[in-house]
Amino acid sequence: MSLLAILLAGWGLVAAGFPRRPADGVERAFRAAIAVALGIGAWSASYAGWRLAFGESGLAKDVLLAAAGAASVIAFRLRPPEQVPERESAPRWLWAVFALAVAVAAAAFVEHTVRFPDGGWDAWMVWNLRARFLVRADDLRTAFSPRMAFLAHQDYPWLVPGVVAQAFARLGESPLLAPAVAAVFGILAVAVVTLSVARVQGMRWGLLAGLAVCTLPCFATFASNQQSDVPLALYFAIAAAILTQAQSRRELVLAGFAAGLAMWTKNEGALYAGCLLAAWLWRARDARGALAFAAGALPCTALLLCFKLGLAPSNDLAAFSTRTSLVANALDVRRWAELALLTARRMVYFQDFALWVLAAFLLLVSHFRQLPASVLGTALLLAFAAYAPIYVLQPHRLDWIFRTSADRILIQLWPAVVLAAIPALARTTART
Amino acid sequence: MSRRRTTAALVALAAIGMLRILWLHFVSEPRHEPPRAPIDLRYQALRELVRSGEVGYVSDLPAAVRLGEDAATLGTRMYLHAQYALAPVVLRYDDARAAVVVANVSDPAVLPELLRQRGLELMAEAGPGLALARPR
Repeated sequence: MSLLAILLAGWGLVAAGFPRRPADGVERAFRAAIAVALGIGAWSASYAGWRLAFGESGLAKDVLLAAAGAASVIAFRLRPPEQVPERESAPRWLWAVFALAVAVAAAAFVEHTVRFPDGGWDAWMVWNLRARFLVRADDLRTAFSPRMAFLAHQDYPWLVPGVVAQAFARLGESPLLAPAVAAVFGILAVAVVTLSVARVQGMRWGLLAGLAVCTLPCFATFASNQQSDVPLALYFAIAAAILTQAQSRRELVLAGFAAGLAMWTKNEGALYAGCLLAAWLWRARDARGALAFAAGALPCTALLLCFKLGLAPSNDLAAFSTRTSLVANALDVRRWAELALLTARRMVYFQDFALWVLAAFLLLVSHFRQLPASVLGTALLLAFAAYAPIYVLQPHRLDWIFRTSADRILIQLWPAVVLAAIPALARTTART
Repeated sequence: MSRRRTTAALVALAAIGMLRILWLHFVSEPRHEPPRAPIDLRYQALRELVRSGEVGYVSDLPAAVRLGEDAATLGTRMYLHAQYALAPVVLRYDDARAAVVVANVSDPAVLPELLRQRGLELMAEAGPGLALARPR
């Protein structure tokens, strides 16, 4: 029943979001990938909503979700298909390189999962810890008890723990479930980026975009770490892809829904959703479109507010900050300089990024700077810029917090960076 | 930049990335990073003894529970591992006055001394360096 609820909810969302039927296999595959991702997100968000409102969640919630999805599919059927656009195909050798890259990333995922069966540090400290509390505790409030160490980050939203907890509840607490959930999010992230670029620019550029995601060395590691960074990257990428390619208000609502799921995945998701909205208002100058986007994000925004105001203890960054510390950190020139140095050094961090991040930065300063500003490019610049004051003002030691968070922020934003960069590259190389 | 050169450049970047992934996961890590045992193995017996509620937690190694403390220490890892394995039990760090206290030490030989120092008496041992105790 859970699987049916996920698939029907996702299908219903996609049916409601896209006014026309898909015209070909690439478009169908893109919509199928986002349907699965949005279905999983809706399944987890509805679980959280149900638990906050009614207590224990069970079959009734899944039946209602499946029924809502089916109703949406029926209500939005029988629309004429889109015209098939002219798309550039990919050479066979590029397909072979892509298949090899996926195989390498999959092998790395398996190797890392076997070596670290409980996932990365944050998996057992935060995400799977929360999933265990959700499925084992009689009282929901226990999962967010302020008596636990602040490192358990009880204020974090719980999309991924909600998925794992429901999987535990249905199938038992098998050690394979959390890695399986992590694998699904990793596969969907590569698929969404590849197909999103392919549906507009053709399969050559789609495969190159997919390569840029799955050969970023830390991608497979982060995917296997069973944390929320790759799922957040996935929902942000879906929101960015739909928003920037939208041809109707309904697509903007769907983009907003995906951004809402990003907000329910991790605290940073609210920042990214805000950046997308601000960039849309700034570059597209379309207030009605912005309203449609905000309306799509509304269910998860309401869920997040209910959780933050009703259940979550305060965030450690807020709890440990005082007005004096904020002012002192803001005026500390050495802190700003240290951040600039740490950022510059991180860009050439070969172990995690190989040469991808350096290449993206060089492209930005040498090539993309001359192009007209795009919505997604602006949103990404806003997001990166927002991290400067966040890093400087936060109360922890700067080098420690930067070392433990910079790579995860990069992995959260990287698929969207690829979505911004590869189509821009495709457009400019097509002209020369 | 021509399309062919752009494609070649991106594929070259991907090839470098793949080589780095292969080196890390199949050459470097197997040499330097031994496989980790599942966290639950150490705490299996203890989980049978304490299933819910709030209990105290003491250790011979300090854990990071306040701003500015190093979160990467063994003491922090042991505390967080115990919390993960024993969920939904809430472990109250450094609380030796709770009705039930989990003692988790890095060196099993120091367990009796730790219990004596914290005014605790042993209720049950649950593995090497792991015990359930209560205030004397």
